[in-house]
Amino acid sequence: MKTLLWIQGLTCNGNTQSVLNGENPSFYELLTKVRLLFHPAVSYREKLHNVVERIKKGKEKLDILVVEGAITGDERFGRAGKYSITELLDILSRKAEYIIAAGNCASFGNIPALYSGNPDVRGLQFRFEKKDGYLPPDFKTSSGYPVINITGCPVHPAWFTQTVMAIVEGKDIMLDRFNRPKELFMYLPHDGCIRNEYFEWKVESEEFGHKEGCLFYNLGCRGPLTHAPCNKVLWNRVSSKTRAGMSCLGCTEFDFPLRENYFETKKNIGIPEEVPLGVTKRAYITITGVAKTLKNERLTKKLEETD
Amino acid sequence: MAKVQKVVLNRVEGEIDLKLVWEGNRIKDAYIIAPNFRGFEFILENKPVMDALVITPRICGICGHAHLIATTRAIEDIYHRAGVELDVPENALLIRDITLASEIVQNHIRWFYMFVMPDFLKLEKNRKLKKFEPIKGQQWQKAVDFSSKMVKVVAIFGGQWPHTSYSIPGGVVCEPTTFELLEAKAVIDSVIRFAEENVFGMDMEKYLAINDPEEYIEKARNSDLKTFINLCFKHGFDRIGRAYHRFLTVCEMEYLFSKGITKRKRKDFDVGKVKEVDSYSFLTESGIKHGGERYSWAKAVRYEGLPYETSPLSRRINNGDRLFQTLLEKYRDSYLVRTWARIDEIMKMLFAMKKWIEKIDTKEPFYKKPSVEPSKLTGSGTGMCEAARGSLIHQIEVKKGRITKYNIITPSTWNLGPRCEKYPSPAEKAIKGLDSTLKAEMVLRSFDVCSVCTTH
Repeated sequence: MKTLLWIQGLTCNGNTQSVLNGENPSFYELLTKVRLLFHPAVSYREKLHNVVERIKKGKEKLDILVVEGAITGDERFGRAGKYSITELLDILSRKAEYIIAAGNCASFGNIPALYSGNPDVRGLQFRFEKKDGYLPPDFKTSSGYPVINITGCPVHPAWFTQTVMAIVEGKDIMLDRFNRPKELFMYLPHDGCIRNEYFEWKVESEEFGHKEGCLFYNLGCRGPLTHAPCNKVLWNRVSSKTRAGMSCLGCTEFDFPLRENYFETKKNIGIPEEVPLGVTKRAYITITGVAKTLKNERLTKKLEETD
Repeated sequence: MAKVQKVVLNRVEGEIDLKLVWEGNRIKDAYIIAPNFRGFEFILENKPVMDALVITPRICGICGHAHLIATTRAIEDIYHRAGVELDVPENALLIRDITLASEIVQNHIRWFYMFVMPDFLKLEKNRKLKKFEPIKGQQWQKAVDFSSKMVKVVAIFGGQWPHTSYSIPGGVVCEPTTFELLEAKAVIDSVIRFAEENVFGMDMEKYLAINDPEEYIEKARNSDLKTFINLCFKHGFDRIGRAYHRFLTVCEMEYLFSKGITKRKRKDFDVGKVKEVDSYSFLTESGIKHGGERYSWAKAVRYEGLPYETSPLSRRINNGDRLFQTLLEKYRDSYLVRTWARIDEIMKMLFAMKKWIEKIDTKEPFYKKPSVEPSKLTGSGTGMCEAARGSLIHQIEVKKGRITKYNIITPSTWNLGPRCEKYPSPAEKAIKGLDSTLKAEMVLRSFDVCSVCTTH
């Protein structure tokens, strides 16, 4: 049975909490398929230090290393037990067959990397867009994979547990340019959004608090610009931000903490500065003109009043 | 000579170290060290004020929703102080309370089963406790299932848990249908059944009518709370873990609790009397300082110069709850009483959630857009809420829509921050005098340790 060790850097614990919400498989179901060496919120007899020392001495094999949280080498700002976070990585990254970055902090550095008081904060292999993480750009584990980034702030539990399943079952995991599992991150939150028709016919929300309308044009929604299957694999298996009426924040992307004004769409003479992925500005303007001229009557009413 | 021992804790939220000073076989002094720091208050500086709704929830993965509510209220307070009345719809206020309570119930279930009960497996070998074993134990698994189920309510209204930003100045972003409300109600009912059958061994109505601990023990069927209480008596946990017997609650919630502070008598809470002290903290008014006697990233918080415990127990005491007044008279603010209060709140919150959800009227609005753009705001505001671990305070200063200062005082800062010149923090005091490391860890866990919030 493969082994799994979960360690934490600078984190909010949100990825742990999110993974605990998992279904199909749940976290504890997953742990019937892999042997857990240590998890800070779960283990009760085992100590991190003992596990790491056993791995270091080759007495325990480490198959899957999961890292939650951003990386800093500065012990004043972050430690994991007796180690600095980078000391821990120096020992474990050489031994692990696979390394998974769970969430945006371990992937890109994310919000903790914005703090100017500690300039030494990064992700495992990236710092925001650049391959300037703690591990070298060409780093690969013994399996031949780089750090597998399962991004999101937080990570979605099913994306995580199913990626571990894929490893356990020896499946090939195709990665995108940010080393995310392609089969998950080839979708956009836009795909499957229940407000999609409003987008199609350019019926734009002017304000929050309504079932109707598309949040892209005015309210900052990043659904058409973000890689994540949030409206395919629903959150907590019941909904998603855009379904509830909240703008997608683009939290699976490297630039999530770098952007500002999350609830507004940046525009230039009425045209969004960024248009949906795969569409040119010209195409966007043309299709907007056509959609607005032709108009879908149904979408102009409150849903309760439609035929 | 005093021996110094350093203990690294797991099964807490984040990283916490405990420095214990032993004299013979007693702990003479305890230092709670929060070693990790991310700098949220600094990161928030110069950001557009609305972006705080996205950033502050990410302080904490387990109680981030409380930060969202505190931020929302702080921004609404800026509007209010600037003379702009927002008239937040009743529906929005109800839904915010429902989602906040969902997070709190989720937290209490996870904390009790994942962090508290496994300690008893270490304390005694008992086949009957096998069901509490992490990962494999049946009760541990049920706790994970039902705590996860609970936060589906947040997802129904806010899209996801953790880390939604669905509550905004003026209301909430959602406009649920009758059917979404029914789904949320069904989730609440399902968690109530779990609580009745597993946690309390008693129907909700009966438990809520209990005024005396003996009455509960006599009437309850076998249940996890009853098992816990018996274990506490067996191991003397009704006599250890006492802090200052002073309680602070900054917000009220309908059907649940009122705000106030209790020293000897209950008094009104005044946020102006809250002060942070940084004499033992790495983080000071004049920048980051290491060395000397400084040992934690957290600051000490004092009310009229005194340390106070903030927690579900504080909420019960400030609310004049009979059961907990009796418990306090008999067992003081011990491990048993503090922990019971957290478990007790599961049932009381679920009860309130059912009441609140009935009051939502889908024909009425859920959001009213503020008449002034947030980018035009200049001023300051305070937002408070009661989170899983106790009282949370956010203070924002804004100039032309941008944050110039953001101050966050979390419940864990009150409870397990460092000492000030005069007093150790409530948790540090509660550990003094104990005779084992395991007991020290357990007493610390009774405060429901959240190191990520403690330092942020």
